Amino acid sequence: LEREFMMFARSLVLLSILATLFGLEIPQGRAENELTPEQFDKLRALIKPHPGEDKWAEIPWRSQLWEARSQAAAQGKPILLWEMDGNPLGCG
Amino acid sequence: VSSFSDPEIIRMAQEDYVPVVGDDWYQRRRDDAEGRFFRSVGDQGPKKGEGGATRQGIYCFTAGGKLLSYSNNVDPEKMRHAIQKGLTEWNRLPESERRPGALAVDNSPASDARYSRQPPTGGLILNVYARILDHDAKGEICTGSCKTVGGDRTSRDHMWLTLADWKSLIPVDPVRGAIIPLPNAIADRLAHFHLIDNTRGEPPFWQRGQVRSRHLDLVVEEISESAVQMRLEGEVHLATDANVSRADRGFDVSLLGHFQFDRKRQAFERMDIVAYGTHWGDGAFTKGAREGKTPLGIVFELAKGDAPADQVPPQGAREITEYFGRSNR
Repeated sequence: LEREFMMFARSLVLLSILATLFGLEIPQGRAENELTPEQFDKLRALIKPHPGEDKWAEIPWRSQLWEARSQAAAQGKPILLWEMDGNPLGCG
Repeated sequence: VSSFSDPEIIRMAQEDYVPVVGDDWYQRRRDDAEGRFFRSVGDQGPKKGEGGATRQGIYCFTAGGKLLSYSNNVDPEKMRHAIQKGLTEWNRLPESERRPGALAVDNSPASDARYSRQPPTGGLILNVYARILDHDAKGEICTGSCKTVGGDRTSRDHMWLTLADWKSLIPVDPVRGAIIPLPNAIADRLAHFHLIDNTRGEPPFWQRGQVRSRHLDLVVEEISESAVQMRLEGEVHLATDANVSRADRGFDVSLLGHFQFDRKRQAFERMDIVAYGTHWGDGAFTKGAREGKTPLGIVFELAKGDAPADQVPPQGAREITEYFGRSNR
């Protein structure tokens, strides 16, 4: 058992030396920014859109062009299309 | 986005037009009635999509497909002018073209399944929000700022869970304190397609080998006849190089989440997740990242699913087989 423990310890030392030599970072037990239960609500409030921040969301955007076409024909209105490479309502 | 904060543009979009959004990646590819209709409108403007190029911009047109005005200028004044011009052109059309019901539109044309996406039947939609963060003078977490216009705003995306996905989250025989690894299909999708910095546009997704470590567990917290409450916890380390000091992009992130499953309704009532960590680097279409490793936060929560915006597919769903983990990438 003692011999096995020594082999395991040597492996750890060797791994550390190799990691240092090749600049590898061994993932630690916790990310650099620890996320505590106390931070949960505060972070949610900070990250989600703040009231009044996304004025464009006040526009009743449709997401299907053909449905918009049908609606426009039925209501006698023109279509306003916001076309992006990446959906404007779900791409950053 | 900032152009659509202009009060007059908002009013016109709400009252005078039928407003709709489109992802050009799909629209310029789909071989069906919708794709052909869109391209026939685009061909009347300056962006004709030569060589598969993007046709992005603001288009005002009739249900019959007549282009009234076009702009690809983000200046609110120029965009307002283009939208007003669209209305002027509309009002010049004969009444016979403008009156309600003047045009009959086929309500159920066949879709090109390769380039149209619908939320999975019986599945769940999560709203995903991301924002750059910082620390204030007292060391408290606060919102961040950056040089990229709009890069300090919350970005939006959606995450899709199939029926099989969310059912796999329900413990078969729940025991308080039990620790259950987050099912691989969900953990993979989360790490590869949703732990990203999309605050400045479309970032690259993480490739399979770039998930350096991933440890995500569900902990059963409370069990009653009516509900099971679980906590998601863990962390993910992402980097473009195995030698992290050489990686030009990476994200070390911790996750904490609260799930509540209604046993009577057999439905999840809550699925709130916060991911918080340090991100570095940018992508070809997301230049302008802050220097060094900086805080980034991401929130996931259940969408009601009844709003048109909820139906917008995840950005990662363009490559749908990879998104659902069905490829051998």
